[in-house]
Amino acid sequence: MFFFIAIFCCLWASHASAQEDSLPATRYVMRSTMVGVGKANVFDTYLSPLEYEGTDFRLLHESMRMTRIMGGRVSVQNLVQADFAYAENPARTGEMYAGLINWSCALHYQFHFGERLKLLFGPMLDLNGGFVYNVRNSNNPAQGKAYASVGASGMLVYKFKIARYPMTVRYQASLPLLGAMFSPEYGESYYEIFSLGNDGKHVSFTSLHNNPSFRQMLTVDFPVRKVVMRVGYVCDIQQAKVNRLKSHLYSHDFMIGFVKNFCLLKGKRKVSMPDNITPY
Amino acid sequence: MNDMKQFSFILLLFFGAVLASCIREDISGNSPEDNFESLWKIIDEQYCFLDYKNQEYGLDWNEVHARYARRITPSMGSEALFEVLSEMVNELKDGHVNLSSSLATSQYRAWFDAYPHNFSDSIQSNYLGKDYIISSGLTYQILENNIGYIYCESFSSGIGDGNLDQTLNKLSVCDGLIVDVRDNGGGALTTAQKLAARFTNEKVLTGYISHKTGPGHNDFSTPQPVYLEPSDGIRWQKKVVVLTNRRSYSATNDFVNAMKQLPLVTIMGDKTGGGSGLPFSSEIPNGWSIRFSASPMFDPEMNQLEFGIDPDVKIDMKSEDMQNGKDTMIEAACLLLKK
Repeated sequence: MFFFIAIFCCLWASHASAQEDSLPATRYVMRSTMVGVGKANVFDTYLSPLEYEGTDFRLLHESMRMTRIMGGRVSVQNLVQADFAYAENPARTGEMYAGLINWSCALHYQFHFGERLKLLFGPMLDLNGGFVYNVRNSNNPAQGKAYASVGASGMLVYKFKIARYPMTVRYQASLPLLGAMFSPEYGESYYEIFSLGNDGKHVSFTSLHNNPSFRQMLTVDFPVRKVVMRVGYVCDIQQAKVNRLKSHLYSHDFMIGFVKNFCLLKGKRKVSMPDNITPY
Repeated sequence: MNDMKQFSFILLLFFGAVLASCIREDISGNSPEDNFESLWKIIDEQYCFLDYKNQEYGLDWNEVHARYARRITPSMGSEALFEVLSEMVNELKDGHVNLSSSLATSQYRAWFDAYPHNFSDSIQSNYLGKDYIISSGLTYQILENNIGYIYCESFSSGIGDGNLDQTLNKLSVCDGLIVDVRDNGGGALTTAQKLAARFTNEKVLTGYISHKTGPGHNDFSTPQPVYLEPSDGIRWQKKVVVLTNRRSYSATNDFVNAMKQLPLVTIMGDKTGGGSGLPFSSEIPNGWSIRFSASPMFDPEMNQLEFGIDPDVKIDMKSEDMQNGKDTMIEAACLLLKK
């Protein structure tokens, strides 16, 4: 039920803002794009009992804006992340490639503590799809990753100045609480699932007991000439234990990118910008 | 600031829960003992024939542990360790079990070495002549007595539907067909089934497949039926003889099992080598990889096929025939198809 409520709220947030004619708070959007590199630790007992370590690459796109929910005190955040890792076993005789695409949509109720500090907290919808590929395995060369969950997301935003130089620091953490995950059974081959079409327990209910994962992110925004730069650190801990198969994908990435703040113009009457200002 | 405190408390609570439940590997260390224990455990928890082989020849995996643990010493070198571990996994008597290192790859060979080879490619060449055709991995010829002959050396590479159509079309004038899978060590099950699908006009139950659902020796899924669906392409409608030897293994064993269920097909030659467990891979801390049987396959009566399939007509190559450049099995197959 919580899952459907979260989806409904996300859709409602988008819909509510789409009905606006003027340029209220819901039209102001913060978007940022960051790329990063760091360390990865890949583990999946379907493929190997060993933990593989290597390099992680991440692309992160974020957008945030206010909605009209609860008197306009709720913001919506969309995060899309593409993560790719190359890792080797401890003896460096085996290689794994892992990829994960994540989309999360969070609705945050905003608590303001003075002008500088904000606390955001609310539900989150989290979708993930990806793979782990072990180069030298035979009939178990890869593991597919597909899971969805609803959870909680919290954020602290603090704005400050150092010698009149404005900066914004943000810490965010998100936790999946309830969801579902695809997994083959303990010793089941993908040949059985896809070539023979055999049924089995391929979708498992997940919660903190078998999917204790979390993501956290620390970012700092600072202007450089006319651009707002963003640097950050992403810690992504994805873990699961379903169908007696254990897996994790840990990644720690240092990110760099930029932020854009702008207004959205939508609707029939906004097919172009006002005549006196549009270049088109 | 009460909200702030509550938020911090909730965050700490969740992070505490997550950090307290890290999902990590169970094994640690890279000593000879660690590698021995790791390999033994992989087989103990994931190998699919431990109980069956206990019934067949008294394999006791716990006894194997006790016997081989005595041979592991902290100071032993890689070569010695590889030798001991190879011997240990050879106790499984399974051609699908291979320990691979930079030194070598272990292999249990008694499944074919202990029996007559029953195949000679130089004698085969007497039948193929010089104008045989190779199409998508299949070598074929029309023999002098108007019997079609297809030699399938491997199922490792895919066989194209167009190639199969062309091959069967060319052989359609023949009175019967020999499909020779001797020395075919296997490959992809889907390729084997693709070839078998050319010999049935209806959906046929060819067996069952199961897999492990947990680390216990008896943790298996309910066996699921495996059907052979007729191909949409050209299908053979006359009699067929499939020639087998002990080196017809793995996916070829599956092919022979599928063909054995078809009414116009006779399996002739020696018992197949077996290898009915779909192999998975894993590895031990020093980086050596281990391949092992993970999913057992059965015939339609739920009989195990791990140690091979008996032919309908048992024939070995005769030495006098071989001296005369004759293949006893091909000759017998021609006689049967000409009847």
